[in-house]
Amino acid sequence: MKSRGPIPVKRNTLVLGITLLILAALAWAGWANWEYRKQAAEKMLANAGHAELVPAEPADSMYTSSKLIGKPAPDFSLQDLSGKKVTLADYKGKALLINFWATWCAPCKLETPWLVDLRNQYAPKGFEILGIDSEGDDLKAGDKEGWTRNKAEVARFVKQEHMPYPVLIDGDSIATSYGGLEAMPTSFWVDRSGKVVAAQMGITSKDDMEAKIRKALGD
Amino acid sequence: MGMRAVVRAWVTGLAMAGGLAAAAQSPLFQEPRHAGPKTEAVAYLYPEQVSLPAGKPGAVALHFRIAPGLHINSHNPTDKLLIPTTLSIPDSSGVRLESASYPAGADYVLPADPKTKLNVYSGEFTIDVRLIATAGDHLVEARLRYQACDQTQCMPPKTITVPIDVVAK
Repeated sequence: MKSRGPIPVKRNTLVLGITLLILAALAWAGWANWEYRKQAAEKMLANAGHAELVPAEPADSMYTSSKLIGKPAPDFSLQDLSGKKVTLADYKGKALLINFWATWCAPCKLETPWLVDLRNQYAPKGFEILGIDSEGDDLKAGDKEGWTRNKAEVARFVKQEHMPYPVLIDGDSIATSYGGLEAMPTSFWVDRSGKVVAAQMGITSKDDMEAKIRKALGD
Repeated sequence: MGMRAVVRAWVTGLAMAGGLAAAAQSPLFQEPRHAGPKTEAVAYLYPEQVSLPAGKPGAVALHFRIAPGLHINSHNPTDKLLIPTTLSIPDSSGVRLESASYPAGADYVLPADPKTKLNVYSGEFTIDVRLIATAGDHLVEARLRYQACDQTQCMPPKTITVPIDVVAK
């Protein structure tokens, strides 16, 4: 009887080798395909300016500092709801609270009754609030329908909240000069000389708001 | 005996190759997305790629995550002035959004205003959509519009891109 030793072993080794080669090729093809699609999607994301999640700051570390503190409040020219032009210079000599807000901002709605009370209380002493609506929806100047809708929504909010002080629109156009409006509400207290004496991003207590008003009045 | 071993090796190997190829496409291999400046409160998680029958509606679940400490209005907020979370797909993408089913939001009150209830999403949420795609490979840039707040302040409304590779056959 002849020995079958070396030939079957060589054939099995060859078959196993080919099998492993095919497996490796399949695995590489799958990985390459996934990698290609991942890169294509990441490129699309990068072009769209996708960003990283930002954990919120704790509530007790609300933003109270601003590069504007100690400096003159930047001048501006905006329209009120009737279309009349209003500038910061119109209020020279008065203590002011420049309050940026938006109709979609629940904390803004919460602080509005406090602002109304404080304004009525301190107006006889030369204090005024300028409520500046900043919707952040990038309305273009020529978007008549958008601006009409915006004004109507603001007017409805003003009426609903009984706001007695001037309300100006298009606050986003002056956002850069006021340090960028990263969140609403954002407030700046200005003394009679036009200098910013306090700033606040997010709501604070009515007592704290009153203390800042008294500071602006020089009390 | 030798042939049996070879056959066993083939079957095992093909099963492994198939498993590897499938796993390479599965959501388990997806990493949370992060790139660019730190501005967004909501991130799209997965899927990166879906396969649908061409010309027929196909169900897809889109997964998102909201940054800790923040919430966004649900698709049905409690006030008309609040901005709802909404998904859309551009008309030119070759893929049509037939329907979108949004999750129910959770009741939420600001600590300083317990009388006012908001309806919000927080943590992770899923939007179930039905898409109809023409035959082919479409890199779709869907859009998610939302408006986020924490307990004391609200960020302006944002729209993020939701990139989905839709393969329709």
